[in-house]
Amino acid sequence: MSAEDRTIVSRFTMEVATALGAAAIGALVIYGANEHSIGWGDAGPEPGYVPFWLGLIIVVASLAVLVQTLVQRVGAGETFITREQGKRVAAFAVPVALFVPVSLFLGLYVATAIYLLATTTLQGRFPLVKAIPIAIGAPVVMFILFERWFQTPLLKGPLEAALGLY
Amino acid sequence: MFDNVPLLLHGFEIALSWHHVALMIGGVLLGILVGVLPGLGAPNGVTLLLPLTFSMDPVSAIILLTSMYWGALFGGSTTSILFNIPGEPSSVATTFDGHPMAKNGQATEALTYAFMSAGFGAMVGVIVITLLSSAVADFALKFSSPEFFAVYLLAFASFVGLGGGNPFKTIVSLTLGLAFATVGQDTISGSLRLTFGFDELLRGISFLVAVIGLFGLGELVLTMEEGLRFNAVASRISPKKVFQTIAKMPRYWFALLRGSLIGVWMGVTPGGPTAASFMSYGVARRFSRRSANFGKGEPEGVVAPETADHAAGSSAMLPMLALGIPGSATAAVMLGGLMIWGLTPGPTLFVERPDFVWGLIASMYLGNVVAVVLVLATVPLFAAILRIPFAVVAPLIVSVCFIGVWTVASAEFDLWLVLAFGVIGYLFKKLEYPIAPLVLAMVLGDKAEDAFRQSMLMSGGSLGVFFSNPLAGTLTAIALILLAWPIVAMILGRRRASAAAVAAAHVERSPS
Repeated sequence: MSAEDRTIVSRFTMEVATALGAAAIGALVIYGANEHSIGWGDAGPEPGYVPFWLGLIIVVASLAVLVQTLVQRVGAGETFITREQGKRVAAFAVPVALFVPVSLFLGLYVATAIYLLATTTLQGRFPLVKAIPIAIGAPVVMFILFERWFQTPLLKGPLEAALGLY
Repeated sequence: MFDNVPLLLHGFEIALSWHHVALMIGGVLLGILVGVLPGLGAPNGVTLLLPLTFSMDPVSAIILLTSMYWGALFGGSTTSILFNIPGEPSSVATTFDGHPMAKNGQATEALTYAFMSAGFGAMVGVIVITLLSSAVADFALKFSSPEFFAVYLLAFASFVGLGGGNPFKTIVSLTLGLAFATVGQDTISGSLRLTFGFDELLRGISFLVAVIGLFGLGELVLTMEEGLRFNAVASRISPKKVFQTIAKMPRYWFALLRGSLIGVWMGVTPGGPTAASFMSYGVARRFSRRSANFGKGEPEGVVAPETADHAAGSSAMLPMLALGIPGSATAAVMLGGLMIWGLTPGPTLFVERPDFVWGLIASMYLGNVVAVVLVLATVPLFAAILRIPFAVVAPLIVSVCFIGVWTVASAEFDLWLVLAFGVIGYLFKKLEYPIAPLVLAMVLGDKAEDAFRQSMLMSGGSLGVFFSNPLAGTLTAIALILLAWPIVAMILGRRRASAAAVAAAHVERSPS
């Protein structure tokens, strides 16, 4: 077994973590529901009633998954993700996550251009002659499509302001 | 039953305008593109297009979206057969025999079998809709709040009872969706729920953002993780072979009929196309005379899942139209669209907007014919698109997803939210939490809660209202039985035969 095939995290660990995460969301829902009356008023359930019980069901059901996992040792020794897969996922997911803050500062068009340029050259190993037309072409097509054709303005940043494209 | 014919003819008058036929063609082509590209499926594609239809008239909008749905269902099979990569979850079963056929040099035959049987299944689904929908709607017009809540409960319960898989995981997914739906302003009391003081949450959590994250980003991560390699087989289509294959179709009449029946059943109940295609494949493999040949390129192994897939896809529109309950994740998105366009899904739609309902049904006949022709004609084109390196295609899909999220409500917060849903989608897919119930619950959550609370107002707070008449009582009882079913099955110590068939089909899938 090469280093690349080694398991970073087992399925068992992820099953437990996800069940706990779901239970935490359930607990948050219960907490949020308690900001309102969760009782049963004259006119049936009060506003907090439905979220409270939903939160409770989430907690109970995810704890049931947790108990099942622990008792039957579901996925113990099974691979959730290998080292090589982890690298591939990170290479894809990190730029995606960075896309959001970049687009909030620079607008969706510029963010798309930067993102496409970065991914095609760094990951796709495209030469710049190919990558630059893609990175500039795609936002231009988007601009024509959305701003002109569909009349749906997208998030813009300083570049569009400088070009007077509002 | 046949009173619907004049209404349907009027529907054809609406659907056959140049404008609508053009929308159909455009929708089908976009749909095939979405279906062909991994990580961009039918629910996500329809979601991305939906905000652009807000300004269209509802009939045109629904024709565009449903045509895209048909196109996506067809496109998913193309990649299954040529590349052994299912473009859609519902076309996984098509890879089992479709790709071996293509490797044996029978790509044209496999594609033709797939598209023709898919077209057949879709037609059966649409005919069922034509014959039954107004009867179901008439029946449902008698419903008041308790009956509606019972129907919603039944829809949720059938995921738990019939969905296969771990029932607790289904419940987690379902109730998370319902909880997400309660975020924001409460429709009855006006109080702000689960906003935790964040102004961004006042609008609630849009199911469109959730779908783009769960189905779009989540699925892309999975695709990247598997390290996608396209190993295409020759994709030239010979017209002569197409017609020869069509001439052989009647041989598979039994597989076609059985697949259609399974598909219609799974589409009308919220089993959905994916479960339908697996079940149909499993049943065909078990009972076929040529079952030894399954997995090695048996045409019946293409016909069976494809027929059921499309029969389920189209008949999923029946409960959506007649009851306001979608039978698949994509239908759930369209149902949300209906509400955004200002229509009230459900039985009253047949009375108030017959032009919409029958225009849509007529467009389903035409759209599927258009789709079969277009998908056969464009196989080389879309096969060529898949030769574009995924290093370019995937980032483009990501950009389209973010733009789609922005067009939903022009909210910066949604861009963060879609990332969170992407993570949930990835984890849920890998750990086998079903995603469709979460989406369905987000779309129906508010309506279900309203129905529940209105029922409580009617009865003065007594749960007995759900058993106060035979109709509501029967529906509620079936729902409760379905909820309890997994426990009963566990006690009996044997899972349903269909679950075994699905598992068998999974095992059959060659590790690639």
